[in-house]
Amino acid sequence: MRTRLLGLLALLAALMMIAVACAPAEQEDEPADADEAVEETDEEEDDEDVADEDVEVETFAEIDLLTTTEGYDPIRYEAAFMIEETWGELGVDVNVEPTEFSTLIETFYDQQDFDAVVAGWSGRVDRLDPQHFLGTLHGGQTDLGGNNPGQFVDADYDELFELQRAEPDLEQRVEYVQDMQAIAGEEVPVNVLFYRDEVVAYNNENFEDFVEMAGEALYNEWTPYEVTPVGDETDLTIGTPEEPDTINPLDSTTVWGWKFMRMYYDKLIRLSPDAEPEAWAAESWDAPDDTTWEITLRDDMTFHDGEPVTVDDVKFTYDYYLEQEFGYFMPFIEMIEETEVVDDETVRFHLDSPFGPFPNVTLAQIPILPEHIWADIDEPQDLAPEDIPTVGSGPMEFESYDIGEYQSLVVFDDHFTAEDFDIERMELIIYADAEGVFTGLQTQEIDMTAWRLEPGQIPQAEDEDFLTVVNAPDFGYYHLTFNLDVEPFDDPEVRRALSHAIDKDQIVDVLLDGRGEPGTSVIAPSNPTWHNPDTATFEFDMDQARQILSDAGYYD
Amino acid sequence: MRSYLAARIAQLVLTFFVILTLVFFLFRLGLPDPTSALITEGLSQEDIQRTRERFGLDLPVWQQYFVFLGNLFTGELGTSFHYRAPVGFIVVDRLLNTLAMMLPAILLAYTLGPALGVQLTWKRGRGIERGGITLGLILRSAPVFWTGMLAIFVFGVGLGILPTSGMRTLPYEASGFFDKILTLDFLRHLILPMLVVAAYYIALPMLIMRNTMLEVIGDDFIEFCRARGFSEARTMYRHAARNALLPVVTQAAVTTGLAVGGQIVVEVVFSWPGLGREMFQAVQTSDYPMAQATFIFMAGMILVLNFLVDLVYGRLDPRVADASVRS
Repeated sequence: MRTRLLGLLALLAALMMIAVACAPAEQEDEPADADEAVEETDEEEDDEDVADEDVEVETFAEIDLLTTTEGYDPIRYEAAFMIEETWGELGVDVNVEPTEFSTLIETFYDQQDFDAVVAGWSGRVDRLDPQHFLGTLHGGQTDLGGNNPGQFVDADYDELFELQRAEPDLEQRVEYVQDMQAIAGEEVPVNVLFYRDEVVAYNNENFEDFVEMAGEALYNEWTPYEVTPVGDETDLTIGTPEEPDTINPLDSTTVWGWKFMRMYYDKLIRLSPDAEPEAWAAESWDAPDDTTWEITLRDDMTFHDGEPVTVDDVKFTYDYYLEQEFGYFMPFIEMIEETEVVDDETVRFHLDSPFGPFPNVTLAQIPILPEHIWADIDEPQDLAPEDIPTVGSGPMEFESYDIGEYQSLVVFDDHFTAEDFDIERMELIIYADAEGVFTGLQTQEIDMTAWRLEPGQIPQAEDEDFLTVVNAPDFGYYHLTFNLDVEPFDDPEVRRALSHAIDKDQIVDVLLDGRGEPGTSVIAPSNPTWHNPDTATFEFDMDQARQILSDAGYYD
Repeated sequence: MRSYLAARIAQLVLTFFVILTLVFFLFRLGLPDPTSALITEGLSQEDIQRTRERFGLDLPVWQQYFVFLGNLFTGELGTSFHYRAPVGFIVVDRLLNTLAMMLPAILLAYTLGPALGVQLTWKRGRGIERGGITLGLILRSAPVFWTGMLAIFVFGVGLGILPTSGMRTLPYEASGFFDKILTLDFLRHLILPMLVVAAYYIALPMLIMRNTMLEVIGDDFIEFCRARGFSEARTMYRHAARNALLPVVTQAAVTTGLAVGGQIVVEVVFSWPGLGREMFQAVQTSDYPMAQATFIFMAGMILVLNFLVDLVYGRLDPRVADASVRS
C-alpha cells in the first residue's frame, strides 16, 4: 500500500515539475501595463462603435488575424486586438487567433495558410545590410518555407533587387535600395507596425563612454574599446540572461555564441557603429569586376598561440566553412566559387554571381580560424566541449567559459588595436533570468546589462543615481503581413485603406510605453545609410480609410 | 525476505520503464517542435533537413523511442539540442551543484523541524504552540519565489551583506567539485538560497512531528516515564520523540528524492547553476535530450530512495513485506 502511494507521489511530483517548469515560461516578459492597455482601448472604441454601427463591408469574408499568445509576447498579442477594433469600425470582421509561437511560424512560413499575421524580424547584425530584409518581399522567395509568405510579386521591385544585389558601388546601391522601399511602401504587402527600443542600463560610477549600436544596444563590438573606467575598476562586467549555445565556431547558431566569439576572433572587416564597413584584418578591399573581390591582409597579426595570421589561414577558413556546409553561414558564403591566394598578402574571392553586399555581409561575418589547429579536425561538430579550440587572433583572448555561470576574455596585448583599450578584462555573469540581471545591477555586481530590461524594471533603474538607462533603437521590426493570394488583400486599395486604420502611435505609446517608433519601412530609420525617409507612412485616419474603401466600391 | 526483495526490484524496474516511456512521449506531445529551437530564421530547407538528420529528428517518433531506449542502456543520454554537447556531462555537474544546496537545506529542516515539533507538543495549549503552528503554515504556504525575492531585497539589495546569485564569486578557478564548495565564499553564496529552501521545508517535519507526538504522549509508557521521575525534557526528547520519528523519516526520504530535481524556482531566483534551472531552460527551449535526462535522473532518485525506505520498513515491520508480496 505504502509502495503504491509513494509511487503515485513520485509520478505526481514529476507531473507537477512539468507544470511548474512550463508555467513561468508562458508569463515571460509581461509588461505591467498590459491590462491597462486593454481597458484604455476598450473605452475609446466603445464611443466610436456606436456611431459607425450601420457601416458593413458586405463583400469581405471574416479575416483571421494570427498573432502570438499573450504569454509569448503580450505586445504583439495586444496589437492584434487593437487592429481588430479599428478595422471593425470600418465594418471589416476580424477574428484574432493567438497561436503558439512555433505553430505560428509553421503556419505562416511553411504552410502559408493565413489571411494576415502579426509577426516580427529580429535585428541581427548581418541584417544591417538591407539584403535580408528586402529579400522578404522578393518574388523569388514566395515558395513554401521562403521568407516572402505574403506572396508579394512586383516586377520592378524584383529587378531592383537583382540590381542592388549585384552593385558593388555603395551610393548606387543605396539608390536602388531606396527605390525598392518606395515601391514596398506604396504597395504595402507588409505593414511595418513598429520598431521596439532596446532599453538597457549601465553603472555610471564604474564606467562611462559606452557605445550604442542599433539592434545591439550596448553589448556590441565597440563598447569594450570605448568604455573608460571612472574609478579603479578595469574589469568590465556584463550581466546576461542568455549564454552561448556553444563556443564552437562551426556549430554556434545563436547571436549569444557569436557576440562572445567575435571578440576573440578577427574578421576581415568590422561594421562601424553606423554599420559601415571598416578595414580590420583586411587593410583594404576592392572589386576588380562584379564577380571578384580582392582583399589585402595586414601583415602584423598573430594568433593567441603566437603563430602568425597568413593569407593561407584566410583561404583555409572560407574553404573550410564551405566544405563543412555550415548552415548558419551558408547564406553569406554560398556564392563563393573559389578562394585564391594571389601573393602573401592578397586573397581573391571568385563568386558565381555578382554580390554587392559581399564586404558588409560576408567579410564582416566570417571569423578567421587558425589553419594549424582546424585543418586536422574533420568532424568539427563532434568536438567534445572541452576540446573546442578557442585560439583566435582577435582583440581579446579567450579566458574561461563555465556553462550557466561565467564567461571571460582578457585584452590581447599583441593585437593591432591593443592600445585602444582602457579595460583589461571583459567578463559576463550568466543569470537565470532578467530579474537576476537586474538584481546584479542593483547590488553593483555587474556594470551593464547585455539584454533589455523588463518593462517594470525601467522606472526602478531610472530612479537610481548610479544607473544610466539607455534607449537604443532597433532595426528589427514588427509587422502585419497580408496574404496577397487571399481576397480582399489582393487589392492594394484595401491594403492601403486598412493601413490607414492602424493606430501605430497608440501601439507605441500604450503597449511600448513610448519606447519605440511607429513603423514605416522594412529598413528602419535607425539604419540611416539605407533607410528611405520618404516611404509612405499611412497616417492613422479612419475617414480616409473609409473614403478609399468607398471609392473602390466596397460599401455598395 | 528474498522474494520480497525480488518483487520490489521487479516493481522498481517496471516503474522506471513506465516513467521513461511517459517522459519520452510527454515531451514530444507537450513541447513545441524542437526544430524551432535548433533552426534559426533564414536557413534553407536543405540545411533544416541536415540539422534534423543530425539530431535524428527525421525518424518517425516510434523509431526515435527505440533509439532513445537503446542509447539509455549503454549509458548514453544523447546530445543536448541547445548546448550541442553530451547531456550526461552537463547533468552530472548540475546535479552536484543542486545537491550542494539542497542537502544542507534538508539537513537543517529535518533536524530543526522535528525538534521544534517536540517543543510545540511540550508547550501545548500555550501561545508558543499557536504561534509556531501559524508560522509553520505561513512558511509552508509562502511561495518560494516570493520569500526568495524578499530575502534578496533585504539582505542583498538593502543591507548588501550577502551575495544573491550564483554559487561563487567569479572569476574563480576551481580544480574540482570539492575545491568549489569547500570555501567560505561558497558558504556565503549558500546562505540565502539554503535558508529559503529550509524555511519552506521546515514546516512539514515540524507539524508531522507534532501530530505524531500528540498520539504518542497519550501512551502508557509516557505516563510510566513521568512516574519514574524523569525530567520533562528527557521524557519528551529521549522517549516520546524516538517513537514519533518514523513518519518524519519517510517524509525525509521523499523530500530528498524530490530534492535531486532542485527547487526550480529557488534556483532560478538565485541563478544557482543547478539541475532545476537546467530543467526549466530545457523545457523552454524544447531541448528534449536535456529535459529527458533531468527528469529521468529525478525519477530514478525518487524510486531508489523509496525502495530503500521500503526495505527499512520491511526490516522494522515484517508485516509490510508480507502485504506487499501478496498484493
